[in-house]
Amino acid sequence: MGHQLLCYTSAVSGKETIAPRRVAVTAAGVVSPLGIGLEVNARALWEARDCVAPVTTFDVSKTRSKTAGQVGDLRADGDGKKWARLHPASRMMILAAREAQAGDPEFSPELMVVGTTSGGMSFGEQFYRAQVAKARPHKRGGWLANYLPQKAVLDAQEACGFSAPSQIIANACASGSNAIGHAFNLIRAGLHRRVLCGGYDAISEMVFVGFDSLQASTPEKIRPFDRNRTGLVLGEGAAILALEEMESAQARGATILAEITGYGISTDNHHLTQPHPSGIGPLQAMQRALASAGRSPAEVDYINAHGTATTFNDATEGTAIAQLFGDHAVPVSSTKSMMGHSLGAAGAIEAVFTILAIRDGFLPANINHTETDPAWPLQIVANETRAANMRCAISNSFGFGGTNATIVLEKP
Amino acid sequence: MKSRIAGMGWVTPLGADLDLVWERLIRRDVAEIRQLPNPETGRIHDSMPVPPKLVEALGRNPRLRRSSPISYFAVAAGLAALENAGLKVTPEISARTAIVFAVSDGGVQYTRRFYEQIVKQGANTASPLLFPETVYNAPASHLAAQLGLDGATYTLVGDATVGLSALHFGTQLLATTDIDQCVVVAAEECDWVLCEAYRDWHFARTPLAEGAGAIVLSRAGRLGIETHPGVPFFQQSGATAALRRVLSELGPGDFAVRSANGTFIDRAEANALGNAMPELLPKRCLGEAPGASALIQTIAATLAVQKSAAQRAVVSVIGFNQQASGARISR
Repeated sequence: MGHQLLCYTSAVSGKETIAPRRVAVTAAGVVSPLGIGLEVNARALWEARDCVAPVTTFDVSKTRSKTAGQVGDLRADGDGKKWARLHPASRMMILAAREAQAGDPEFSPELMVVGTTSGGMSFGEQFYRAQVAKARPHKRGGWLANYLPQKAVLDAQEACGFSAPSQIIANACASGSNAIGHAFNLIRAGLHRRVLCGGYDAISEMVFVGFDSLQASTPEKIRPFDRNRTGLVLGEGAAILALEEMESAQARGATILAEITGYGISTDNHHLTQPHPSGIGPLQAMQRALASAGRSPAEVDYINAHGTATTFNDATEGTAIAQLFGDHAVPVSSTKSMMGHSLGAAGAIEAVFTILAIRDGFLPANINHTETDPAWPLQIVANETRAANMRCAISNSFGFGGTNATIVLEKP
Repeated sequence: MKSRIAGMGWVTPLGADLDLVWERLIRRDVAEIRQLPNPETGRIHDSMPVPPKLVEALGRNPRLRRSSPISYFAVAAGLAALENAGLKVTPEISARTAIVFAVSDGGVQYTRRFYEQIVKQGANTASPLLFPETVYNAPASHLAAQLGLDGATYTLVGDATVGLSALHFGTQLLATTDIDQCVVVAAEECDWVLCEAYRDWHFARTPLAEGAGAIVLSRAGRLGIETHPGVPFFQQSGATAALRRVLSELGPGDFAVRSANGTFIDRAEANALGNAMPELLPKRCLGEAPGASALIQTIAATLAVQKSAAQRAVVSVIGFNQQASGARISR
């Protein structure tokens, strides 16, 4: 079953039959290794910039992989002392939320739905190292308070003057897409009118070593869907999207950046970290998202793929895309090739990238590409950005635990 | 938002049988305390573990053989709740079921062990067997595999209100998708590093505990549940007002199951609830299992209504640093 959206007389809410509401994206904000802000990121995408660099925040002398997409130090926003105490995840979330707020100052969220995988993990690492060193530094209280995944969300709310309940989804690397998808479903069903959603993750030593230990990360360039791919490169960042019921947004004259029209979720039980080789998980997520949007595969103009460049992920996703889209030569790229895999932020950042691509009329490049893996007949947007007039695109995110998510984005 | 409770299950330091643990809570039995030493500093912490025999049968399950205890607790509670709901796991049932899993701290034992290897032996020795189990959604994935579920599986993280957030999320899924039931599970496991952290953060006035609770939400269950999305607070001084708003939006009750744990939460909760109705404080018996306690409280409130100790039982939860939330159970 696809767990498709229902619009009916709900036994739960007691609401009358409702027509599905259209869902607008009225504003967005993004912080990524490509830069801070929508326009900086749009320019970097146009230029197909490689923003992966040697890791600077922890020791990588004993790991195979040595590079990542990193945001770097973020300029103090407001109170410098308070800013200094915040975890980098909070800083990224504050900047992304502030940009979304500036893009639509009238937007006041009823709910915040955010994805992450590791919260303020690096503060937890410092706490553990202090135990081993038998040290009790004064700032350990700050590490603990800022370590928890909800803290970055609350910091962003406080910085923007919002006060909404929050739901924090930790569905591994699909978290950001799941957050957007759940927010979309709530508005579409008429349960909420305005929801702020997105995702964040800051790079940490433990997660970096984790992927290295699995030999999922590469010491080379990240080459999604390439015959010569050798693994992923980690990244970090945050993205926030303001979602509003379309009629409400139009009535107040809000700018509509894009429309979200579909969402699909599936669970693949094959293995905790490896997808079923048949591609059933991604296939179901894409099928369910398109069914939810009322679109056929032939109507899709672009796929922003999960495309981590690991042997198994790309094989699974490539197989699923080839199976679903058949002879329809839909362009595919993984923007992770430019900035690495930002885990819980990836779905949200890539949704924003897809919106920018639709808005500005271009297909983001899949850089570092040498030769498409002949196992699947994919139309990879190899190495160079291409101009294109897009109406409908999908963004895929898949994660550990077998969680798969796809969202459908369209030109308003 | 409203839905119905079709089944419940729990795994607690006082046992795993719904009725027996309820009776022990009413008698105010306190679970056995185990001391957890910090091997680095020698500091001793009190904890309330789940007796291993309660989940030992799951040790023979191939999918769980390398899992952290939190996954055992989550799977055991989830399967017990489905059984309590009278649902046999069939492909037809699984196809119309979603999972929402809630946690505050997650697989801390494997996380600490994995990072310990990095710090003490070097990153090149870190075990790839440990890392996957450190991910927050590992227990939900194991439960989905037991059920053969291919639809929606979500993991939520947050403070001690996260169990109630998960119930609200499950109710949202019932209202917006074509599932027939949602298994909401919350679980937590203990480790010395977690005890150390909560003690340093001044939240260890109640021993940290292990355990899990699970509730099957549906459109046609035995009892009604009204969930609340929560009200955030940015300073501890705002907790009373946040909870007052939650309680007023949920409506009155005649029995309260509170989250009091010996911290600022006790006074804030007492101020918001007053002393007009009988109350149960499960953490005094079961300890503080941060991500799991709210769901365990909700099960206790449901049992209070089921056993006619109350007509409308209110669950009150104040989290450490995110929000206040609540739920109301009624016939």
